[in-house]
Amino acid sequence: MGGYGDVQMIDENGVRADGRGPGDIRPITIETGVVPVADGSCRMTWGTNEAIVAVYGPMEAHPRKIQRQDRAVLDVAYNMAPFSTTDRMRPGFNRRSREVSKVTQDALESVVLLELYPRSKIRISIEIVSAEAGTRCVGLTAASVALADAGIPMTDLVVSVASGKINDVVVCDLNKEEDNYGEADLPMGIMPNSGELVFLQMDGDLSQDEFKQAWKYNMDAAQEIHKLMVEALNGGDSQ
Amino acid sequence: MTIPIVPKLLRSHLSDLAERDARIDGRGRWEGRELEVQHSILPRAEGSARVRMGDTIVLAGVKFQIMTPYPDRPNQGGLMCSAEVRPVAGRNWESGPPSPESIELGRVVDRGIRESGCIDVDSLCIIPGEKAWQVILDLFAISDDGNLFDAFALAGITALRNATVPAERFEVGEDYQLSVSKTPIMCSYHRVGGRFVFDATAREELGGDERIHITLGDDNNVHSLQKGLKGIFSADEFTEIMDNAIERTEKLRKIVDEL
Repeated sequence: MGGYGDVQMIDENGVRADGRGPGDIRPITIETGVVPVADGSCRMTWGTNEAIVAVYGPMEAHPRKIQRQDRAVLDVAYNMAPFSTTDRMRPGFNRRSREVSKVTQDALESVVLLELYPRSKIRISIEIVSAEAGTRCVGLTAASVALADAGIPMTDLVVSVASGKINDVVVCDLNKEEDNYGEADLPMGIMPNSGELVFLQMDGDLSQDEFKQAWKYNMDAAQEIHKLMVEALNGGDSQ
Repeated sequence: MTIPIVPKLLRSHLSDLAERDARIDGRGRWEGRELEVQHSILPRAEGSARVRMGDTIVLAGVKFQIMTPYPDRPNQGGLMCSAEVRPVAGRNWESGPPSPESIELGRVVDRGIRESGCIDVDSLCIIPGEKAWQVILDLFAISDDGNLFDAFALAGITALRNATVPAERFEVGEDYQLSVSKTPIMCSYHRVGGRFVFDATAREELGGDERIHITLGDDNNVHSLQKGLKGIFSADEFTEIMDNAIERTEKLRKIVDEL
């Protein structure tokens, strides 16, 4: 976290630069079936973030050395398109996207009923075509919707959302400026029906009380976002 | 890209259809799929477009960078065009370094745009010999149901025609619209069941043979040609395709110019 104290992002009444209150999230839209050739897909916009996720499979796992005799394997790839950022993102290998792919895969493997599909592979491609802040949360949330759209059995959906701290105030769902100049960021992956977690990261500086507040904001936001996900999967418009 | 297995049944079905002058999805031989073109849809790109042709969907994004002009062309900026088809777009596309297929896609689209001269590279110069704009056009496939070439070319020129040079962000003056003086348009033809058809789907590509790509400029001038895959075609067949391309590009150009 940058932690530059001199950028004022929230006023004394708790109103943020974009007009939101501390616990408010940015506008979200969710749409399924956006990649017609895939088995399941999802387009999610969240603020000016936009993720497109396609799911293929279960299909034959090759090379055979990646096969597991007792369960399916997930192959999750998170990637940012070259035009998704202010400065062009060079295509190709990148340590950040490898890490995000891995933690996203770990989260999804915790909810997909892998043992139903031994020796097979389920491929999940997360493409960020527009990035603001919180792209890993958008990617993970959209991936769980795409898996459900593909009819892959899961114990629950995953809602991922981050809270953080700006100008010493805990707020939910950081936007670009808040992410750049904020003092902490706590992204979580929540199973909305049980309130259990499958994904957790944090960086920055939070007191125990601030941490509890950020946790609560994430839990509350997860319920709100979950409703939109269910609506989209039921064929309704989430806007 | 994994090497697809071509079902013999599909090939024979396609030639049966061709004998009756029919196509697998009910279209006529020269009929394109339903087309949808949108521009300025990506908030982080300086120019962008989304093209949908049936179940084929692509995005194009324009970004700008400051470059040092090449020593032999001190008054010119540059244009770079690259295409990426990642695993999101279809089950046969794999991750890893760019495949020969996606490199061919990017290069054929690049030639059509570059050689048409629609972007005046002299106008991209900021300080001769020191600073110039490099225009980067990135083509990105979302869903591949065949004929990515035409979708990429259409999205590419649409994104460029609606691009803003971000001079303020780079502190070299005020933002202005990128000047694009022409509208090169590509049309692709695939041999399916023994004869050429326009705008093939993935199934037609799979069970078909060679393909020919033609890019025509505003005055029907030819700017790029490419023959891909194994196959032999006659001069008469090519003339027939070219005549169709002249007619077709005119209609598509009108759509792009009127956006």
